[in-house]
Amino acid sequence: MAAGLKTVILLSFVLAVGFLMIILSCALWSNWLPLFVALTFVVAPLPNALFSHCGADDFSTDYGEGSGPIDLGRFITAFIVVTGFSLPLVLAHSEIIKPGASVMSLIGGGCVWLFGRIHASSDNERLLISACSLVYGTILAYTAAFRQDDSDFE
Amino acid sequence: MSLPRSDYDPRRVCLNPFPFLENINLGKHRRALGVYLAGGLFSLGIWAFLDATILSAHAHPPYNEPDYPVPVHVTFADWVPGICSLLGILVINLIDKDRVRGDEGFGDSRAVWRARLFLFVGFALMAGGLAGSAALLVLKYVLPGYPDQYQYYGFANVAENVFLMLSAVVLWIAQSGSGEYEYNLSI
Repeated sequence: MAAGLKTVILLSFVLAVGFLMIILSCALWSNWLPLFVALTFVVAPLPNALFSHCGADDFSTDYGEGSGPIDLGRFITAFIVVTGFSLPLVLAHSEIIKPGASVMSLIGGGCVWLFGRIHASSDNERLLISACSLVYGTILAYTAAFRQDDSDFE
Repeated sequence: MSLPRSDYDPRRVCLNPFPFLENINLGKHRRALGVYLAGGLFSLGIWAFLDATILSAHAHPPYNEPDYPVPVHVTFADWVPGICSLLGILVINLIDKDRVRGDEGFGDSRAVWRARLFLFVGFALMAGGLAGSAALLVLKYVLPGYPDQYQYYGFANVAENVFLMLSAVVLWIAQSGSGEYEYNLSI
């Protein structure tokens, strides 16, 4: 990757902050349910990774389009990502966790998810990142930098 | 191929009722974005209903009058419309979209009506789920005149079914839109 050492350090910093926020959101109120958020965002890229090799064989004319398993992987990934965002909100709504814990685990989960996505992402995933990271505006600049780097190879 | 390619092509009824949507220029990410969007909508729908369910499970009497019992809970009847919509989504997505289109020279042309019949069954299941959730909202929550915090259960149910239907529609359009483009290329 052309982005180099600085991005690695930055990404590890983002990941550390994400896990810190999640664990704090659990530990400060001694209610460990928000830890599921971390699990969700760690699991989120798995379906894409599993199904990504199902579609493209040597005879398909275009890369990765028009394949059922790939679509299924994307569907499940989007499902899990939205689950990760909605789980703290639902828990806070029914007063199982405090609103502060909900906000902290949301931010932390977003950081962890962004780390995973940026670390191993293809083109359209990066598009999804830039759509979702409007919420996390500080990191938007870095994804934009990544997109510029990759356009050199196309 | 034998039919003229025109705006009033009758086969289009089964494909995409909104042809102008295909003109939205999202480039090569169009299908991926559509599938992601469908998955997100699906998850939103499921969680809208689960939110109401968890709220109902943790419902407690108001603090100022602790003897006032919670009047209504989410029961199995509330789950039925969502299950219908889920079955509808499964049926719709199990249909091969090229079958529905009914091009000549593609496989068994007599199977087209069967594919369209199952497509109808799928959409009927989804519409039944939506109508059932609306009926549930009116009969179980609005007519008895419960407070707003309990009517929320019914509205969440309607929202769930609306989101599931939107998800199915988005998925269908995303998966069937680019087909004709490739088809033109192959000619």
